[in-house]
Amino acid sequence: MMSADSQRASDGERWAGLIEAVAVRQDRSAFATLFEHFAPLVKTFMRRSGVTEASADELAQETLLMVWRKASVFDPSTAGAAAWIFTIARNLRIDAHRRGRRGGLTETSDVDAEFQVDESPGPDSRLAAAQAETRVRAALAELSEEQRRVLELSFYQEKAHGEIARILHIPLGTVKSRSRLAMNRLRNLLGEFS
Amino acid sequence: MTIHHHPFDEPLIGFAAGTLDLGQHVAVATHLTRCSRCRDVMHLMEHVGGAVLAGLSPTPMSSDAFARMEARLRQPVVHEVRCERPGSGALDDMPGLPAFVRLYSAAPWKWIAPGVRLRPIRLPAESDTRVFLLKSAPGTKMLEHTHTGTEMTCVLTGSFSHEAGQYGPGDFDLGDETVKHNVMVGPAEDCICLVAMRGELRLAGIIGTLIQPFIRL
Repeated sequence: MMSADSQRASDGERWAGLIEAVAVRQDRSAFATLFEHFAPLVKTFMRRSGVTEASADELAQETLLMVWRKASVFDPSTAGAAAWIFTIARNLRIDAHRRGRRGGLTETSDVDAEFQVDESPGPDSRLAAAQAETRVRAALAELSEEQRRVLELSFYQEKAHGEIARILHIPLGTVKSRSRLAMNRLRNLLGEFS
Repeated sequence: MTIHHHPFDEPLIGFAAGTLDLGQHVAVATHLTRCSRCRDVMHLMEHVGGAVLAGLSPTPMSSDAFARMEARLRQPVVHEVRCERPGSGALDDMPGLPAFVRLYSAAPWKWIAPGVRLRPIRLPAESDTRVFLLKSAPGTKMLEHTHTGTEMTCVLTGSFSHEAGQYGPGDFDLGDETVKHNVMVGPAEDCICLVAMRGELRLAGIIGTLIQPFIRL
């Protein structure tokens, strides 16, 4: 019997393998498995970000469509499958938000390009994805429920600490200290790699 | 060149989470292109995003979702035709800007005070934050000022200093209503910064009160 942790770690490898199968041979059944698992998670992510039910469904489909189209640029050495799919969903959410806003787009915007900041020369110390995924999960598991919640809420929408405090019914100072503790733990983790 | 001043964790998390206002995103991106240490933190936060996603409880998709999507897989990808933008190339000569920002259009430099010029950058989407380049002549002493909102500054060339230390290329400075700055530009060369400003800049003192209406930052 596998422990929950090693089960999840091998899950990560399995998802990466399925994405590669899509990249290499346009494997439809591998893609169906990815869709079945990730589309409902992305849909929840969109709902929590304040997107309507119908749009969340559309955006989840759109995210998986991008997984299909961009599978060949997925680099399992720098990004885990879940992290990669998260970034696709994140960028689509930004794009949809801009289109939906009053005034909308003033011209074509390229959200993907806005996240390309790895330009400077020199050794890139990005964590190896396989390690990072397992370690990040372990580090998150070590955080207290409250610290994790504060960190998690910052992923859904622009939540200033003040607003998170209001949602969780806790003082602003508590949000700040929880967030700081959570980040210190994660930064320590980063230190272990470099 | 060593970078001494980094963004706090909140903007880095916000960047990775994709929740920053576009103007602030541009300021943080400008720092990130120069700073591998903060890039590491940012990428770590993307992994956290992946873990958050993986840990969510699933919401059932609509019954025809997969079929609709599968039909789209067969369609050829239509690439949006990107026309040359009118202003594109305007920021090409500006060192230290992220590639995507160099494609934005920008207004001409305008004089705002002796030794100080400002160049607004036009963002491709609505933003509550104004982004501009600020060029100050060597030795310029900027007026004491406070803010009503958040101001993010990233140095592109040259240097400046204030109460919190010296700032050179790549350094990131955050100002808000609690900070009062007396900025002095370094003696060697022009200092060009990218500034993302939310709210209004308030110049302190009588001179500030007199010229404030004309600057309209």
